[in-house]
Amino acid sequence: MADFARRQKKPLIHCLSQEKGANMKGNVVSTTALVLLFLNISLLNGQSPPGKPEIVKCRSPDKETFTCWWKPGTDGGLPTNYSLTYQREGEKTRYECPDYITSGPNSCFFSQKHTTIWKIYIITVNATNRMGSSASDPLYIDVIYIVEPEPPQNLTLEVKQPKDKKPYLLIKWFPPTVIDVRTGWFTMEYEVRLKPTEADEWEVHFAGQQTHFKVFSLYPGHRYLVQTRCKPDHGYWSKWGLESSIEIPSDFPTKDTTVWIFVAVLSAVICLVMVLAVALKGYSMMTCIFPPVPGPKIKGFDAHLLEKGKSEELLSALGCQDFPPTSDCEDLLVDFLEVYDNEDEQLMPPHSKDYPGQGVKPTHLDPDSDSGHGSYDSHSLLSEKCEDPHAYPSTFHIPEVNEKPENPEENIPCIPDPQSISKEGNGPYFPTDESKSSTWPLPQPGQHIFRSPYHSIADVCKLAGDPAGALASLLDKAEKDILKSSKTFETGGEGKVDEQKEMEDAHSETKQDASWPLLREKAPLIHGKPPDYVAVHKVNQDGVLSLYPKQNENGHQPEKSRAPEGNKEYAKVSGVMESNILVLVPHAQATNMALCEEPAKKAPPSLEQNQSEKDRASLTAASSNCRGPLGGLDYLDPTGFVHSFH
Amino acid sequence: MLLVVWNLLFCQNVHSLPICPSGAANCQVSLRDLFDRVVMLSHYIHSLSSEMFIDFDKRYAQGRGFIAKAINSCHTSSLATPEDKEQAQQIPPEILLKLILSMLYAWNDPLYQLVTEVGGMQEAPDAMLSRAKEIEIQNRRLLEGIEKIVGQVHPGVKENDVFSVWSQLPSLQAADEDSRLFAFYNLLHCLRRDSHKVDNYLKLLKCRIIYDNNC
Repeated sequence: MADFARRQKKPLIHCLSQEKGANMKGNVVSTTALVLLFLNISLLNGQSPPGKPEIVKCRSPDKETFTCWWKPGTDGGLPTNYSLTYQREGEKTRYECPDYITSGPNSCFFSQKHTTIWKIYIITVNATNRMGSSASDPLYIDVIYIVEPEPPQNLTLEVKQPKDKKPYLLIKWFPPTVIDVRTGWFTMEYEVRLKPTEADEWEVHFAGQQTHFKVFSLYPGHRYLVQTRCKPDHGYWSKWGLESSIEIPSDFPTKDTTVWIFVAVLSAVICLVMVLAVALKGYSMMTCIFPPVPGPKIKGFDAHLLEKGKSEELLSALGCQDFPPTSDCEDLLVDFLEVYDNEDEQLMPPHSKDYPGQGVKPTHLDPDSDSGHGSYDSHSLLSEKCEDPHAYPSTFHIPEVNEKPENPEENIPCIPDPQSISKEGNGPYFPTDESKSSTWPLPQPGQHIFRSPYHSIADVCKLAGDPAGALASLLDKAEKDILKSSKTFETGGEGKVDEQKEMEDAHSETKQDASWPLLREKAPLIHGKPPDYVAVHKVNQDGVLSLYPKQNENGHQPEKSRAPEGNKEYAKVSGVMESNILVLVPHAQATNMALCEEPAKKAPPSLEQNQSEKDRASLTAASSNCRGPLGGLDYLDPTGFVHSFH
Repeated sequence: MLLVVWNLLFCQNVHSLPICPSGAANCQVSLRDLFDRVVMLSHYIHSLSSEMFIDFDKRYAQGRGFIAKAINSCHTSSLATPEDKEQAQQIPPEILLKLILSMLYAWNDPLYQLVTEVGGMQEAPDAMLSRAKEIEIQNRRLLEGIEKIVGQVHPGVKENDVFSVWSQLPSLQAADEDSRLFAFYNLLHCLRRDSHKVDNYLKLLKCRIIYDNNC
C-alpha cells in the first residue's frame, strides 16, 4: 500500500509540476499529503489481509452428518469473513458450506443431505477482509474415517440383590440419541469405568455391544462413581459421559467362592500328584527314609505257627524238642558240630574264652555276649540240618534275610561224602537246598551224629519262663549274626580264591577269630559209611585252611590228651572236584604241635577284632616253623592255638 | 479334569456354532450363523486394510500429495453402490448382496497381485506382507460365505455379469519409484474403502434380515 501510494505520488507530482504553476502545485501537494496521511494512518492501525485459516478437524457423530471446525488466522485488524467451500470426489462443482451456525462459530455443519459416505471431500476455508483474502490448505476427508460419537446417555445405576444369587451392581445406559443402531447402519461398542470416590485409579471394563453391565466385586459401604463411553466399529472413542454415583449398602456380601473352588481344585490336584508319586516311588522313598528293619530270622522259626499259637510246634521247629525245656535240651547245648566216629567223640568248642575249662562240654553261652556267636550260628545251621531227623521235624526253615525261595520240605542230606565236600561260597547264608554250611569231614568211619550247638536254642530251652523275651533276644542276636554272615557271603564266587576272600572278610567282620565258612553242600552219598567232618578253624593270609580236628565229647584237652594216631586230621586240600567239592587229604601234624604251640602261645590272648590278623601272622609263623614230614604243608592244627585264647 | 472344572467355572455362556464339515451335501448352517461369520470376516478384513493403509501412508507417502491424485481412481467406482444410509436402506437386499459379490470378485485379482508385488518389494515390512496375505485368504472365505447366503436368501440368482476389471498392474510394476508408490497407495486406499463398504452393507443386511431392523 505504501509503495502504491508512493508510486501514485510520483506521477502526480510529476504531472502537477509539468502542467501548472505554483497554485496548482500547492493543491496537489495537499492532496498528496492527505493521501499519504491516510495511508500512514492505515499502516499505523495494522490492517492487513487476513492470515491463513486452518481447518482444525472434521467429525461425524453418526455417519450421516459431519461438522468441520477451523481456526482463523490473523484477521489483519479488519473484520474478516470466513467461508468454507468444498468439492466432492467425482464432481466438479464447488459448493459452499450449507450451515455455519449449528455447530458454533468457525464451523460448518453438513447435514444428511449434504453428506456422502465413501467419497472424498476437498474442503477449503477462505478468510476475506477488506484488505484481501487468504485460503487455507485443502483438507481431504472421507466421512467414514472421521466418526466420533457422543457419549452414551441416561446412565442408571442399581444395586441388585437377588435371592440365592450373588448381589451385584447393574449399570445401564443408552446410545447417543442420534445414533441409528437398530437398522445396523451404526455398530457401537461401549466401555464402563468405576471407582470408589476416594480412589485414584479407575477400573475400566469393556462391555462390547451391550448396553448394560454387571459388577460383582464391590466393597460394601463405599460410594462408587461410574462413567461410560462408546466407539463405532471403526472410529474414535467418545468422551466419557456424565458421572453417576451410588452408595453400596453395608450388608453387601462379598463372598467369592470362585477363588475357594480354584484353591480346592488345585489342592486336590496336588494331593493326587503326591499320592501318585508316593505310589510309584513310595517304596524307594520309604526305604530311603526308613530303612527296612530286618526281620528276625530265627532258624526254624515259623511265623505261621506263632500265629496259630502253637508254642510247642513253634519251639520244636526252632529246635527245641519240647517246651518247657527238659533234660533233652542238653543235647542242644553243644557248641559246635559234632562228628562222631563213635558216640563218645566230640569236637571242642572253637574258642573257650567264654567257657574256661569247658573245652568240650556244651555250655550255655552267655546270651548277651556276641563273641563267637557268628561262628556258632553258622555251625549250628549245618548241624541243625544234619541233626538226627527224628529229633527235628523235617519241615523247618528260617526266614531268610535274602529272599531266596525256600524249600522247607527238603530234607537236607547231612551226609556228604568225605571226598566230596562241596564248597561254594555264594548264596545266602541260610540253609536252603542251595546254601548249606558244611564242614570238613573227618574220614572216620562210623555213624555220626550231628548235634546242633545252637546256643540260642539252648537259651530258649533254658529260659522256659520267658519264651518271648528269649525269642526276642534270640532274634536280635540271630539277626545280627545272620546279617553279618550273609553280608560276607553275599557275593559269591566259585573257586578257592573267592572263598578265601570271603573267609577273610568273615574274619574281619566277625568279632571272633574263628568263623565257619559257608559252604554249599552238594553231597550225594557216595560211600556207604557216613563221612566225618572237621570244622575249618580259620584261613590265614596265605589262604591256608586250618581245620579243627574232631574232638572228644568228653572235653579232652585237645592239644594234649589226644592220641595223635587216633587223630586223623584233614588239613590239606588236595583238589576241588566238580567245582564245588573239596578233596581233603589227611595229615598228621601232632608231632609238630608242641613246637607250634609256642609261637601260638605268644600270641596275645586278647580277642580284639584285629586278632585274626595277628593270629594269621602267628599261624604263618607257626606254619613256617612247623614243617612236618610232608614238607611244605602249611596247615596247622588249630587246636594248638586254643590255649592262646584262654 | 482341571480343564473341565475351569470351563465349568468360567465359560458359562459358550455358544458353539454348528459346523458344517466340508463336503457334506445336506449340511445347512443357519442363516444367523452365516451372517455372524461373514460379518466377523468383513470386520476383520477392514481392520487389516485400514492398518495397512495407515502404515503405508506414514512410511512412504508423506509429503508426496498422493491423496490429491487418488481422487476417483478406484476400479470399483463404476459399481452403483449406495452412498448413504437412505440409499442403502432403499436398495433391496438381493441387489445389495449381488453388489457385494461383485465387489468381492473385483478384488480377487488385485489382492493376488498385491501379495505378489509386496512380496517382491525388498523394502516392504514383514507386517505388510503378512497382512496382504491374510486379506487375500479371508476375502476368499468371505466370498464363499456370501455365496452361501445368496443361495439361502435368494436362490436361483444368476451369476453376476458385471464385474470391474482392474488394470493397474503395470503401475504397480513401474520402474519409477514415485509411480510405483502411488500405485500401491491407490490400491490400498481403494481396498480400505471397499472393505468398509462391504462390512457396512453386511451389518445392515444382518440387522434387516435376521433381526428385522431391530438390532
